[in-house]
Amino acid sequence: MSDYLLTQVINYGVPLLGIIVFIGGLGVPLPCTLIVIAAGAFARQGILPWHTAILISLVSVVIGDSISYSLGYYAREYVLQRFSGTPQWQQAEQSFQKWGPLSIFFSRFLVTAIALPVNLLSGTTRFPFKKFLLFDFLGETVWIIGYGGLGYLFGSQWELVNEFLSNFGGLVLGLIIFIVGIKQILNWQTKRHQLSN
Amino acid sequence: MTKKNITNLAFILAGIAIIAFFGLRAFHAFKKFNGHRPPPPDQIETDVQLIREWMTVPFIARMYYVPEKVIFDALGISPKDNHDKSLEEINDEFFPDTDGLATQLVQAAILAHQSAPPPDAPLTPVPPLTPVPPEIPQG
Repeated sequence: MSDYLLTQVINYGVPLLGIIVFIGGLGVPLPCTLIVIAAGAFARQGILPWHTAILISLVSVVIGDSISYSLGYYAREYVLQRFSGTPQWQQAEQSFQKWGPLSIFFSRFLVTAIALPVNLLSGTTRFPFKKFLLFDFLGETVWIIGYGGLGYLFGSQWELVNEFLSNFGGLVLGLIIFIVGIKQILNWQTKRHQLSN
Repeated sequence: MTKKNITNLAFILAGIAIIAFFGLRAFHAFKKFNGHRPPPPDQIETDVQLIREWMTVPFIARMYYVPEKVIFDALGISPKDNHDKSLEEINDEFFPDTDGLATQLVQAAILAHQSAPPPDAPLTPVPPLTPVPPEIPQG
């Protein structure tokens, strides 16, 4: 899949790059980070115009993210029918109001695996759209300009950049899962102490 | 042990497994990455090991500053209809019996082209003309 997309980005340029990151923003699992880093390298080689590539990618991915936000927004009724009033749902809503901005920002580039759930949850919990758009735009700017910029800087050695960043993202995801597990157990122990007292 | 505790424990174990897996890979990738510095902007690429099967001939030509014709000639194919094909597609279509032959041919053509002197360069360096002083007979 990655190889096929890379060949087509060479052949069709910025419009295809925009389509790929747009579909990625919708939540379809495409190797978007790899494509963005490679696009940076292609810009250095003069295959893609860097300014148009940045503009089109940024606009496309933000539109894709906004659509997945709206999916969550309009699915609220269905989600509420199933989970409304449950302590888990209330906890999720409260947590998202607190941690939402950071989750949106970092899931754009560092832990992209949770980008879709974060978009859906943003919509479902009625996280303010303007605020979502702001943090989404900031995160995607880091992704496009930061990761694409590294590809530009390293040129034909962009694969090394991709290898490191994709594994680092996996490492951060593992840390998040670990911390969530530990936090849940600590919460449970605190509640048990309170009940026993 | 409650069902919730089992889920939490599973979370922690999965987290540790993911940290170990990606941590090791990230460490190895960083070691490789750390040994490299960004190439200077005007450097002509010479490392043919960077050629991949997803690359097209025009892309490779641009990357290595080699005329497209040199590469198409090395592959023995016409640029027409093959312009947008990846090396993998070219290999599958024209050299189905040998895996990676297209890549090897392209690598050899680039090495030969980059090591050859430019066509307008003199074959051997010519020393500048200097006036020879006349011989003075002795005695």
